[in-house]
Amino acid sequence: MWFIYPIVETVILAFQRVNLFHFSQRSYIGLTNFRQLWEDPAFHHSLFITLTFVVLVVPAQTVVALVLASILQSVGFGKTAFRTAFFLPYMTSTVAVTTVFMKLFVEGGPLSTAAARVLGVSNTTWYAYPSYALPFLVIVYVYMYIGLYVVVFMAGIENVPAELYEAAKVDGAGVFQRFRHVTVPSVRPHVFFVVVAGFIQAVQIFDQAYVIASSGAILGSPAGATATLVIFLYQQAFRLNDLGYGSAVAVVLLVIVFFGMALTRRLLPERS
Amino acid sequence: MSTPRTRLAGKVVKYGVLIVGAVVATGPILFALYTSFELPADYPRLVSFGRLTLWNYRYVFDNAPVLRWYGNTAFVTFGVIVGAVVVNTLAGYALARIRYPGRTVTFLVVLAILMVPLQAILIPLYLLVAQLGWLNSYQALIIPFIANPFLIFLMRQSFQALPTDLEEAAVIDGAGRFRSFFTIAVPLTMSGIATQALLAGTWTWNAFMIPVTFTTDPNHYMLTVGLNSLQSQFYTLTTVQMAGVVLLTVPIVLMFLVFQRLIVPSFATAGIRG
Repeated sequence: MWFIYPIVETVILAFQRVNLFHFSQRSYIGLTNFRQLWEDPAFHHSLFITLTFVVLVVPAQTVVALVLASILQSVGFGKTAFRTAFFLPYMTSTVAVTTVFMKLFVEGGPLSTAAARVLGVSNTTWYAYPSYALPFLVIVYVYMYIGLYVVVFMAGIENVPAELYEAAKVDGAGVFQRFRHVTVPSVRPHVFFVVVAGFIQAVQIFDQAYVIASSGAILGSPAGATATLVIFLYQQAFRLNDLGYGSAVAVVLLVIVFFGMALTRRLLPERS
Repeated sequence: MSTPRTRLAGKVVKYGVLIVGAVVATGPILFALYTSFELPADYPRLVSFGRLTLWNYRYVFDNAPVLRWYGNTAFVTFGVIVGAVVVNTLAGYALARIRYPGRTVTFLVVLAILMVPLQAILIPLYLLVAQLGWLNSYQALIIPFIANPFLIFLMRQSFQALPTDLEEAAVIDGAGRFRSFFTIAVPLTMSGIATQALLAGTWTWNAFMIPVTFTTDPNHYMLTVGLNSLQSQFYTLTTVQMAGVVLLTVPIVLMFLVFQRLIVPSFATAGIRG
């Protein structure tokens, strides 16, 4: 009951008109909120931003984490120390990490200058520049989550029988061939898990986008470049005081997450 | 077949990649640490260790209620840990050991809810807290977050991993349900309980969305919310902000370094949450 109540309540609220400051007056308005969502360009925009974010984040973190994990499992010395270093960012607060990266990517800051020199992008304040703000969020996010997925992959690679690697070596397979033909197929369930879990996690992106915009009045700044789905939800419910409309967005989020979860459940037997 | 030379080269490349990765992972944290000891006038230049000072820390403590935020965060974290250990341990035990009608259904519900994001239920939680008149209160930040499906799941697994023989023996010796729970089951799942306390503590310490929504009075801010508010207050003082970052991060990093053997595997097995 404890857990189910808020979910059911979210769904009920999605069919009501409720104001943040007069929340005891609630009236049913049927599908109006959803119809409004269907036509709201700001909502479409937030879906697009979230989708772009997910498409950038998930493959990057999955590939980097898998490569790091397989290297880490193949070395003898310093395994724990490196794992600790990789995992550290995941333990720190989103606010702390975002604040630090904002200083690193400010105009003339250490990393924005380095990026300008190496990649030829402009040396600007990334989180305030519309076309750089979303890549900035991607960097901050991936930085935090890679360590988590490295650990997941390490657990997977640990279970690969050592004989497989020995056999591949005897057959003359090089490092890359062993990675491609032994490691990757053996941890396929883990890859799937990391992709789906990473997807579920990434569609919820909120803290980082809130932090970069919180000095301004409108969330999702600059110019809506970081207006993700949950930022849109928050904006509607707690800045524009329309709890019913915000709940309709929450229902959309729930549907997306359950879709992802259904995929994991289907693959669960293969994992065990 | 690989010759000693190529094997050495391979090792160099592997460690090279790992070292780059470790520098990237720890660099921003070390940057914050170093900068927090620099005088505002010296930033962003690098200065010798002799010029580093505690000026930023003194400044931030003098100009923002940081101690108060520390107290709030510590109190709320402690409250959630104590509550979580009691509630989730009992719930996990019930799911693992007590046969009652609807147990399977309860467990399936817990599983299904594992991945429901807090973001999706934020609005009803807010309404509930507001109706109770709990905005800007400690209980609003503690009570809704005690019962946690992932922690219940974790405890159920720990209890289920125990052989039932011991408890059965205790029952034969005349011990009741409570006696066998407290004297046998609990002591044997201490590592599970400790893991649970660490996870609940980490999540609560780092929580942002809930405290930023449920508290508007700076006296009730948690550290994360306070640090975020420093951003606009000391916009030009990067070094002061970094002192705030260090104050927020140090306790959790120390805790992690001490207990990482418990924390890392629990995140690896199923902890894709938080």
